[in-house]
Amino acid sequence: MPELQATSEEQHVYELCVLIPYPLSQKEEQEVMKNVESIVEDAGGRQVAKDVWGRRGLAYKIGGATEGNFIVYHYELDPSAINEIDESLRIAKHVLRHLIVKPPKGYQIVAYSKKYEEWLKESEQEEETRKKDKEEDLRKKMIEKQKRQTTKKPAPVKQPKEAEKKPASGEMITEEIDKLIADDELEL
Amino acid sequence: MAQQPKQQRIDPRARKCPFCLKAVPYIDYKDYPTVKPFIDYFGNIRQRYYTGVCLRHQKMLKTAVERARFMGMLAYRK
Repeated sequence: MPELQATSEEQHVYELCVLIPYPLSQKEEQEVMKNVESIVEDAGGRQVAKDVWGRRGLAYKIGGATEGNFIVYHYELDPSAINEIDESLRIAKHVLRHLIVKPPKGYQIVAYSKKYEEWLKESEQEEETRKKDKEEDLRKKMIEKQKRQTTKKPAPVKQPKEAEKKPASGEMITEEIDKLIADDELEL
Repeated sequence: MAQQPKQQRIDPRARKCPFCLKAVPYIDYKDYPTVKPFIDYFGNIRQRYYTGVCLRHQKMLKTAVERARFMGMLAYRK
């Protein structure tokens, strides 16, 4: 992107952002754009760049519109013409908001319409990956649970076996004790 | 149960300004993706203490957010 520099010292490069309500017929849209351009060009402006963003949701209702279309112009202008343009843009039809800003030195024009779309795609992809990760985590947890349940089942089976053995061994012990008592050879 | 990894809290004094790391000369109000993380759920600007932004860039951020709010790109209040 080219760096901004005014041709003469008296002029500056200004950035003009205009907000138009979105559901407009193409004729009206072009008329509004022409109107804005003619306002600036009548005041002695020279267009450097133009960027139409297209449909965008608004953060709050402006003039009854919930969706808008942003248009960003870069104009080379005489500083004295700014007030006049500002006044006439305020009156202009179908212009919800406008903002004239003087970008700082070394500012490079960036096409934010493209950048925003790229960002949208990236964020969508991130969300998808996050969802997949969550699902995988859930699956892993389920598998672990199943494993734990299968390992738990044999444990209660073992206990009754031991219980069966114990009384048997008890009988054996009593028998042996009886034998020992019956033995006369042993002197206690 | 698998032990959850403990969240490591960064010392706010050790955090560096994310704009200074990239040597940003100017924060643009039209650049929604870069401004968005410095705004909380209610639409307020996050405090410098929590984000680690330096004073110079916080002031730039403030003007950018105010312009974006005026143009309807950001909400004043949610």
